[in-house]
Amino acid sequence: MNAEDRSAELFVISAPSSSSTIPQGRQFTGLYYREILKTFRNPLVLAITVAQPFMWLAFFGSSFSTVPLSELDALLHTQIQSYLQFLIPGVLATSMLSIGMFGSMSTIQDKRFGFMKRILITPTSKATVYLAKALGSTTRGMVGIPVMVIAGLAFGVRFSGDALMWAGWAASLVLLGFGFSCMFLAITASSTDWQTPGVISNFITMPLMFASGALFPPANFPGWMQTISSYNPVTYAAEFGRGIILNGQADWTYLGYVGIFAAAMAAIGTLVAARYLRVE
Amino acid sequence: MPSDAIRTRGLTKRYGTFLAVDHVDLDVPAGTVFGLLGPNGAGKTTIIKLLTGLSDITKGEATVAGFDIHKDPMHVKQNVGWVAAEVILDDDLSASENLWLQAQLQRLDYWKGRAETLLHYFDLTAYRRQKVGTFSTGMRKKLEIALALLHQPKVIFMDEPTIGLDPATRQMLWELIQGVHREFGITVLLTTHYIEEADALCDNVAIIDRGKIVASGTPDALKESENADVIEIETKQEVNEAQLRAIPGVLAARSQGRSWLLRVSSAEEVLPSLLAVVHDETVRSINVQKPSLETVFLNLTGRRIGGSESEGPVDFRKFYAQMRRARS
Repeated sequence: MNAEDRSAELFVISAPSSSSTIPQGRQFTGLYYREILKTFRNPLVLAITVAQPFMWLAFFGSSFSTVPLSELDALLHTQIQSYLQFLIPGVLATSMLSIGMFGSMSTIQDKRFGFMKRILITPTSKATVYLAKALGSTTRGMVGIPVMVIAGLAFGVRFSGDALMWAGWAASLVLLGFGFSCMFLAITASSTDWQTPGVISNFITMPLMFASGALFPPANFPGWMQTISSYNPVTYAAEFGRGIILNGQADWTYLGYVGIFAAAMAAIGTLVAARYLRVE
Repeated sequence: MPSDAIRTRGLTKRYGTFLAVDHVDLDVPAGTVFGLLGPNGAGKTTIIKLLTGLSDITKGEATVAGFDIHKDPMHVKQNVGWVAAEVILDDDLSASENLWLQAQLQRLDYWKGRAETLLHYFDLTAYRRQKVGTFSTGMRKKLEIALALLHQPKVIFMDEPTIGLDPATRQMLWELIQGVHREFGITVLLTTHYIEEADALCDNVAIIDRGKIVASGTPDALKESENADVIEIETKQEVNEAQLRAIPGVLAARSQGRSWLLRVSSAEEVLPSLLAVVHDETVRSINVQKPSLETVFLNLTGRRIGGSESEGPVDFRKFYAQMRRARS
């Protein structure tokens, strides 16, 4: 084929579309898939994602290994078979706090390498970019859920609950992760500094991890920490999972609370991103 | 589509107190190659950002591919392609994956055949599954142009398209730009600070300096309007301006310290008289230029397109002396 024949195939100039808005589904799919490809193509990222839950259970889970079960029951205000059983829903809930960091870092990388310009020079809205990053982060965080459950089984933990409850528990973690990813990305929407996501992560994660019922029961907290804990969605996702795993009981209002949190964060974050997401 | 692919009126962009683009009026006829020629920092890239909706317009109007950039930025974006000065691709993805992503972002339904053809056209078929991070600069540039063409845009913006390329790749790109424009009638707006690039490629040129269009027209018309040679002369001692102006054939004289810029009717006729006035031994350097886009810019602004933003030439001797003193 000569150059002219080849080039003739390249172009058919079409009339412009008459609608004033451009649907965003295809752009969202493309950007989301890009996030997933970039994340899971890195074997080190995958290996550490898988190893981390085992380390949590091995190190943190062994903190009370010499304490008699009856004393743990009193301390944790519930009947457990092992501290790990109490811990797993909490660790999974707290791990959702920092997953937004990945989306935030990937956004800053796109700004600094100019790729954000390449995206936004196409009919793709800032809100679409934002939501694709948030869902990409959430998906990355979800890998930890089956790994943690398998790690728990490997450590001899017994799990209660039925399939519906387990699906609900997984949904609560997805919503929690999505909500915090949205919050994270909104806070860093205008940032172009590599250091920001790490600093924000510490700032969000530390207080919300400890001021929640994820690792220790709020009944032991001082009043002000109990107040934070009672508004903290991490508490609700942890308690929802714990009810299922320990007793086979699901309090679905907890799932609703986490859902409201996720929807609110997505709505606020989309508005913030549309206004403040920087191109470079 | 109207006859103008790009039309701006009073296009202005202000960053705080800095006026980056100052009331620019452009009329780029459809199917032509239009060059924005100017030094670094003149506002060329900012104009591209404004016309592609990457940056908000402070004041003024702009229509691109028949759509108002204020009212309908999404349809403008659907109809423009972009080739960045710094070559922007996703290095973690393969060439095919970059094309796939572009197809998603542009919402293309039938693109695979064209993507294959583009890869073939740019000799990238054999490398389509390789990560773009492993590509040479020339291959990256080709892929970037393939991305810009994938959705059949009506207007392509090329920001300093040949910067940092070796001569062979630059030549290839020049041919490609001319080919794209000739074969498909795509309007190309390119920015450059290379005189020869603007001269070789562009049907029309606008010369831009400090955010303002200072001259525009076809390269030939601009050169013809110049109708004068330019002599740059640098001396070791002060020279009397009146004496310079009195030399027959000197049309204008502009001083930049001990460096002079003279517009003359004919350099060959003026030089002997000039060297009689400015004695040989005081001449540090002398440079003669026939009419070119460079001399057009030089005469309009007193600076070279490739020169620095600062007024007048840099005194390197003084600079080296300062550096030596600082080291001792």
